[in-house]
Amino acid sequence: MNAAFMQPSRLATLKQLQCNIFQTSYNPQSLRTGAKYFRARLRGPSMMAYYPKTFDIAQITRQYRDLEIVNEDEEERFQDVLERKRRGKGAPKKAKSAADSRRLGKKR
Amino acid sequence: MPCARVIRDIKARKGVGANEIARRAYLMVARNQTLPTQVRLHAQMQLNTFGRYTRPTTVNNRCHETGRGRGVISEFGLSRFQFRIKALRGELPGVHKASW
Repeated sequence: MNAAFMQPSRLATLKQLQCNIFQTSYNPQSLRTGAKYFRARLRGPSMMAYYPKTFDIAQITRQYRDLEIVNEDEEERFQDVLERKRRGKGAPKKAKSAADSRRLGKKR
Repeated sequence: MPCARVIRDIKARKGVGANEIARRAYLMVARNQTLPTQVRLHAQMQLNTFGRYTRPTTVNNRCHETGRGRGVISEFGLSRFQFRIKALRGELPGVHKASW
């Protein structure tokens, strides 16, 4: 029998039955169900694995404090800062008020 | 120490990974036309409360070596110039300069 001669209501029933048999959802108005957000694979894990792992001494010294690993670059930097402070070339004191501050007192 | 843009990108990647499932659930509710409008609106409001670095579109594949954000060859994760340098040095297996 040609589908063109079938009544729309009968076609709908047929479709419904078809969905029932093949276990697909019957959605005659083609409404969006948001199923695609569940169907799509999760992209987070592959995104987090993009950059290759780098060897970070600072992180390892932080992680294993009891091993007392010496980060030589950091020690050197620290010594330089101390030396600079001794010569009066350290960072200025934090401003307590707007009047002390060089930036906040300015008119902009 | 990677450059600031790479650090920002790593932050975005972590944020996306941590919030992906919750975001997907809200997206599903908000885009579902079979649910009542009030529920969908509420889900959309919840989606808007997520931070900037939880959206996958804020993630940008950058060069592993230099952190450059443009001209990155995705197969190697390197910017075009770093790719050339490494290829000529023979550090990329199977890649050699074309000659015919």
